[in-house]
Amino acid sequence: MTGREVVDLIKKNVGVPWNEQSYRDTFKLGNPDSTVKGIATTVMVTFDMLKRANQAGLNMVIAHEDTFWNDRDETKDLTANPLYKLKTEYVLKNDMIVWRIHDHMHSMRPDFTVVGSLRSVGVKGGEDAVMRPRIYTIPETTFGEFASQVKRLTGSRAFRCVGDPKAKVSKILLGPGYATPRMTAEADVVIGGEQQEADGAFDNVEYVADAASLGMAKGLIMLGHVISEQPGMEDLGNWMRTFIKDIPIQYVPAEEPFWT
Amino acid sequence: MNEPEISRRSFALLTGAAAAAQVPLPGANALTARDVATRLQNALGGDWPTTGPDGFKAGNPETPVKGIATTAMATLDVLRRAAKAGVTLVFTYEPTFFGRQDGPAPAGRGPAGLTADDPVYKAKQDFIASNGLVVFRLREHWQTRPQNDMVTGLAESLGWAKYRVKPDDSLYEIPAATAEDTVALIRQKLNLRGGLRAVGDRKARVRRVLLHPGVMTPATMWQRYAETDLLVAGEVREWENTHYAADIHTAGEQRGLVTIGRVASEDPGMRACAEWLKTIVREVPAQWLPVGDLYWRAV
Repeated sequence: MTGREVVDLIKKNVGVPWNEQSYRDTFKLGNPDSTVKGIATTVMVTFDMLKRANQAGLNMVIAHEDTFWNDRDETKDLTANPLYKLKTEYVLKNDMIVWRIHDHMHSMRPDFTVVGSLRSVGVKGGEDAVMRPRIYTIPETTFGEFASQVKRLTGSRAFRCVGDPKAKVSKILLGPGYATPRMTAEADVVIGGEQQEADGAFDNVEYVADAASLGMAKGLIMLGHVISEQPGMEDLGNWMRTFIKDIPIQYVPAEEPFWT
Repeated sequence: MNEPEISRRSFALLTGAAAAAQVPLPGANALTARDVATRLQNALGGDWPTTGPDGFKAGNPETPVKGIATTAMATLDVLRRAAKAGVTLVFTYEPTFFGRQDGPAPAGRGPAGLTADDPVYKAKQDFIASNGLVVFRLREHWQTRPQNDMVTGLAESLGWAKYRVKPDDSLYEIPAATAEDTVALIRQKLNLRGGLRAVGDRKARVRRVLLHPGVMTPATMWQRYAETDLLVAGEVREWENTHYAADIHTAGEQRGLVTIGRVASEDPGMRACAEWLKTIVREVPAQWLPVGDLYWRAV
């Protein structure tokens, strides 16, 4: 089976009309007509992850995010960049293929990125979750205890919290990656991956800090993009196994990039 | 300063300073927030379009000013400290009301929208009104100063002012130390808590540091990374710049990226703003109110 045939099977099974205009969900590197020996799913096709996939004999990488460090994977300013050359040559030399699935994952039902992110932080009932965020109720706890639970379950070293650790919380609103939802009247805690800190469409950080100053039970957890959005890429692999049976499919997570 | 080319900005600066030196006569009209803003606008120059982000955001511009404060972001905590310190007029670099719209806005595409009856918005407006505060956003026109105070202010807070490589650039050549030790120094000097996150080799030798308060784009990073051992930025997009820094690390290059938080990175530049304001407004005191690190990390 070739890379192109793998993608055709995904398009056939995805359950939503395929948008050929998406600049994200395209082949990024390698020859789409190369034979696929094994498939790796991941959130971030880092150079480190590529090497691990290759060592595991998986020559097709299906990633949720970009390859060349900008959302559009625009390479015109990178042709003389040594890292661009290194990464590109590594993929070509090893007959690897990189393909991105982003936009269509977020229109799938369920959206595996949301399902995986909810599961990873210990919030139950999100097995059918879609991109549009909704409130999940957890047994009442303090924001600090909840944040500690999230740290324990995700293993994240560098996630960031805003709000009063002593506030009593039970209503959780989650969006993965950069899709951090805005705080609402109903929610106690918003969980996301990352977001612009200020001067955006809605500045959660300032809003939650001010709400906490007023004694309102509001908290914000930003997990980091990789930690937040990665778990669903394992679900994507499981789903692909229902229609691709003769090629190994493995979840090859990217590392959390931070130390503190 | 070049004599024949006194700009509108520097001319206004001179006249502003002269006016400020005069002792107001008894019974003369009190200095209002609008007077201060006008003096500042003349001193900085520029067009001050009403559609831009800069301008009055809350309070009555005709309020007599007893004291001035500058801040990176007028959080409720900052406003409370301002009121306690006898401040009337607050200059803020970032929005006051939770977004670029800086006030109620219809819900649009994505997670936008702030209703006029939002409890946090109302409480903040009420606090501003009941304490007679006036809030003015000062971002784009402060950035245009050739002195680049956002960068030099940050360098000063880090104790690196004297290590600037070129007078018009943000590259600093500091005494060599490991990335780990340099990051520890940044955390301590800026009093950071949970907002600091670093990428790269902890043991890398750091000498050349690029200071980039606020948001750093991928293009800036691609252009400047090769000449830099450690990039210090406010915030980046993790699937862009952080991804790049991680790959640079995997490629074996001894270069790192540390993000310290957008507002934390902008705090020192607004201390420089308070110092500058003292030179053009002498009738009332001006002070800096740092926001600090808004983040904490769970244990």
